[in-house]
Amino acid sequence: MAAVSIRHLGIDKPSAARKAAGPNRILGDVSLDIVDGEFLVLVGPSGCGKTTLLRCVAGLEELTRGEIFIDGQRVNDLAPRDRDIAMVFQSYALYPHMTVFDNLAFGLRMRKTSTAEISRLVDEAAQMLEIHHLLQRYPRELSGGQRQRVAMGRAVVRRPKVFLFDEPLSNLDAALRQQMRLELLRLHRRLQSTMVYVTHDQVEAMTLADRIAVLRQGALEQIGTPQELYLKPKNVFVAKFFGAPEMNMLPGRITAGQFVREGAELPLQLPVPGLPDGKAVLGIRAEDLHLMTAESSGQLSAQVDVIEHLGAEDLVHVRSGASSLVARCAVQQTPATGAQVQLRLEVERCHFFSCEAGPTEGHRLEPTV
Amino acid sequence: MHALSLLLLTKIAVWHAYSGGEERALEQVVKTYNQAQAAKAEPVEVETIQVPYGSFADKLQAAIPHGHGPDVFIAAHDPVGQWAKLGLLRKLDDLMPVPEVTAPLLPQTVWPLHEGDTQWGLPLSTKSLAMFYRKDLVKTPPQTTAELWALGAQLRQGWTATEPHRYGLAYEAGNFFQHATWLHAFGGAIIPKGAELPRLETPEQLLAARYVVGLQQRGDIPEDMTAVLVTQFFNQGRAAVVLNGPWFISEIAPDVPYGVAPLPLVSETGLPGAALTSIEAGYVSATTKAPQAAADFLRYLVGPQSALTRARVGRQSVSDRATWQHPDVQADPVLQAFAAQLPHMVPSPTHPAMRSFWEPGEQALRQVLRGVAPEQALHAAQVLLDRYLQPPPPTVSETPIVLLSSALLLLGALYATFRVRRERLVSLALKSRDAYAYIAPALIGMTALVLLPLLIGAGMSLFTRDTTGAWHYVGWANFKQILQCDGGGCLEPLSFYYTLLVTILWTVANVALHVLIGGSLALLLRDPLLKLRGVYRMLLIIPWAVPNYITALIWKGMFNRQFGAINGVLQLLGVPPVSWFSSFATALSANIATNVWLGFPFMMVVALGNLAQIPGEVEEAATLDGATRFQTLRHVILPLLLPSMLPSVLLGAVWTFNMFNIVFLVSGGEPDGATDILVSQAYRWAFTRGHRYGYAAAYAVLIFLILLIQSTLLRRASEKQNLDV
Repeated sequence: MAAVSIRHLGIDKPSAARKAAGPNRILGDVSLDIVDGEFLVLVGPSGCGKTTLLRCVAGLEELTRGEIFIDGQRVNDLAPRDRDIAMVFQSYALYPHMTVFDNLAFGLRMRKTSTAEISRLVDEAAQMLEIHHLLQRYPRELSGGQRQRVAMGRAVVRRPKVFLFDEPLSNLDAALRQQMRLELLRLHRRLQSTMVYVTHDQVEAMTLADRIAVLRQGALEQIGTPQELYLKPKNVFVAKFFGAPEMNMLPGRITAGQFVREGAELPLQLPVPGLPDGKAVLGIRAEDLHLMTAESSGQLSAQVDVIEHLGAEDLVHVRSGASSLVARCAVQQTPATGAQVQLRLEVERCHFFSCEAGPTEGHRLEPTV
Repeated sequence: MHALSLLLLTKIAVWHAYSGGEERALEQVVKTYNQAQAAKAEPVEVETIQVPYGSFADKLQAAIPHGHGPDVFIAAHDPVGQWAKLGLLRKLDDLMPVPEVTAPLLPQTVWPLHEGDTQWGLPLSTKSLAMFYRKDLVKTPPQTTAELWALGAQLRQGWTATEPHRYGLAYEAGNFFQHATWLHAFGGAIIPKGAELPRLETPEQLLAARYVVGLQQRGDIPEDMTAVLVTQFFNQGRAAVVLNGPWFISEIAPDVPYGVAPLPLVSETGLPGAALTSIEAGYVSATTKAPQAAADFLRYLVGPQSALTRARVGRQSVSDRATWQHPDVQADPVLQAFAAQLPHMVPSPTHPAMRSFWEPGEQALRQVLRGVAPEQALHAAQVLLDRYLQPPPPTVSETPIVLLSSALLLLGALYATFRVRRERLVSLALKSRDAYAYIAPALIGMTALVLLPLLIGAGMSLFTRDTTGAWHYVGWANFKQILQCDGGGCLEPLSFYYTLLVTILWTVANVALHVLIGGSLALLLRDPLLKLRGVYRMLLIIPWAVPNYITALIWKGMFNRQFGAINGVLQLLGVPPVSWFSSFATALSANIATNVWLGFPFMMVVALGNLAQIPGEVEEAATLDGATRFQTLRHVILPLLLPSMLPSVLLGAVWTFNMFNIVFLVSGGEPDGATDILVSQAYRWAFTRGHRYGYAAAYAVLIFLILLIQSTLLRRASEKQNLDV
């Protein structure tokens, strides 16, 4: 068990296309502290550098800049085998020519553990992951879920300081994924180890993480608990990344403490005390947008476009002027397609983002009290 | 030519293997002949076709019996007896007054083409060795061997440690054709007077062999000479005199001042060195459609007008006596040198047994030059020769095999009919007509190119071919002879079992080294951080890209005892030079070294491909599991790589098992056939030991069976492996 500290980490890779184009920046300048025993999830879209960051911790990538500390020790020049970490790969990377038992025992054998100790530890790990009956099989004789468990078992058996997971659940079907998420949580509770987990799935991130670090284009966008990220996203990117459906965005302008929506024919005016003047984007999640009958007085009028039935509730997509919005709605109250409705916004749960660099690049506006 | 004569035009095809001046001379003769013919009422048009020397005899034997061959062809006289027996030649006596035609010719060139009361061909020219000398090193060409060796001794005095040594004489001492020059000078002959068959164990052979050993021991001649080395020595001035034929003129470098002189008188016996002489003759094909026209042209071809052209343009030593008096010919010093030898020329023997003579003859020579006692070497070679000349196995009745195979065929046909009916194969086949149409070309190709030759080859193993070309059924006699080691011990180099052991040793050593070296290089080249990886990979593939016979010849040169690069390096390191091809272990090592050089790139490429299949993450997992680079290699990479190499190992084993080129070209089976593998042994039985095609076919069938068993076993093993991983 150990804390991991990442300081000003940068990775450049030579550009494949042309040397003249200069190196390709994979990670810019990432600094991150992972507390001992913490479950940290690295999340971001494809190609954001999250796997590279994980591999840096593992020692599988050569650093261009920066430093990494594990348990207070600088590990930049330490070989992967000497870092006492375990990694679960997306492809599981089981040794195809070894039985499950040998797969689990391999790391222990390499560390010259005694035979008796090996069988005790393998046994324990196998029990923990319920793969005891599979120990004599070869990986090709296992299902995807079983392979996944073996891959985890291989990490668990060594009791490393840090566990690294590289999208370990992405090859499983939805039901199995959910089950494995729970098991991972149990495993973490039981082992109390530091775990770093990479995923592009925000649900996985939200359910597993003690804290989440959001990466985009090689840079850290925000780090915080799932709640913080959901409730107080630092920028439009984070706001839109978490939550399904995606947060609604309405462009407008703040003038003298008032947010005015763009497009005069459908006025929306909200008091926003303390926010600076200028172009801005209003963000509101589907659950904070309420549908009302056309006769009621709401802040916006709209027309129902499409309805998605989720069972317990419906997602109602509406058109309001040039914007498309989505609202959660109890099944009984769902209007008919094409119906005219009024929308009410929960004002205290609206997010405002600046809009200087375009509507998708804005950062959170906080009242300057 | 007007229309009528076009209709009456007779065409005569002439096959020859000439090139250079000789070809030009022939073209000129033919042109003159055709021009003269054009004016005639029933003209003849002669057309020349150059056929490569190497395949000349095969093409003749294949074409003439079917009537496709030439009308007239030009070839050396030695196979004349054989060809007459095979029925390829037309008697000339019916087509021309032979005595009248041959009267103006040198009689010693006429009689070798005569058999009983039949003249089979007309001599055109003779080819034999003469002495070529460098005018800058030799003022007057030596007339006796005493003078020649004195010249050598004089050159030896100028030897220094740093400069390449100069020799008085260089020639291919291990080549019996050239060696015959000394044999004749000691009064011997390949077929001694009064004998029917060629012999090696004679007093004259012994004298000649001792003589050559003496030459080599004194340093009068360089060791291990090949034709290429002789040319090189002469052109570089390292040999003052070489023995060579008229074909050598075109190989002499343009700036070398050379002269040609008759072979020297051997001082020890007072007899002239007399070279085996090949008489080039024209023949009329047995199946020509215009025998008279062909004979008329042949008569013109030997006649004085043509002879002069051939002497002047082609520089041939013509058979027409009068031509030698012509001033132009008198003025040609090269022709004069050859002319001086004509009186004591020894025509190559034409007996069919000669086809079995050269291999034991040269084995004896090479043994003697390696230091084996001449008596012993000649005796061993005589034993071999006797074995090669053994009569073929007796013909047996064909009835049992015919009955048996008919019965089997009938049963097979019945069974096939039964299956076809029961499973409605006809209607099934009709349904998938398109599919059958798609595979038809491949099916036809495979049948014609693989299946039929295989069946014919297998069939041949039950037959023997006599000297007239007729096949006789001998049952399993060929197999019995091979498997019961007839005519020698089972552990002698010529026995099947010995050769099989050598072949297995050869295959295992090669494949193991291919995999080891190829695999190691692939592991090195895989490192993505290695700079210039592509360049290394390309360089390492080059040995594979070079045609293997070229590589084989280069390596053979490098292994030369006296002048090879390998011994050169050894000498620099203070190791005495190794005579690579005189002991089994070194000769086999030389073969293996060459074949490993040729074969490792294939395994490297395959291993690189297979390594790319191993996911990088598995290796990374091992690293994180605490394995060192070596442990990762040993516990993860190799166990994954080796099973995937099995198919290539299987292929490599089959290729190596049958790797004829390397064995044939590098060691050539030396010493004494000990390093021959099964295929090269089969080749020798077919082509250098009296054309025992049936016996060789039986060898081939055995090789096929061994490979079949070997590949089945290996495939089983690999399937088992694949299940496990």
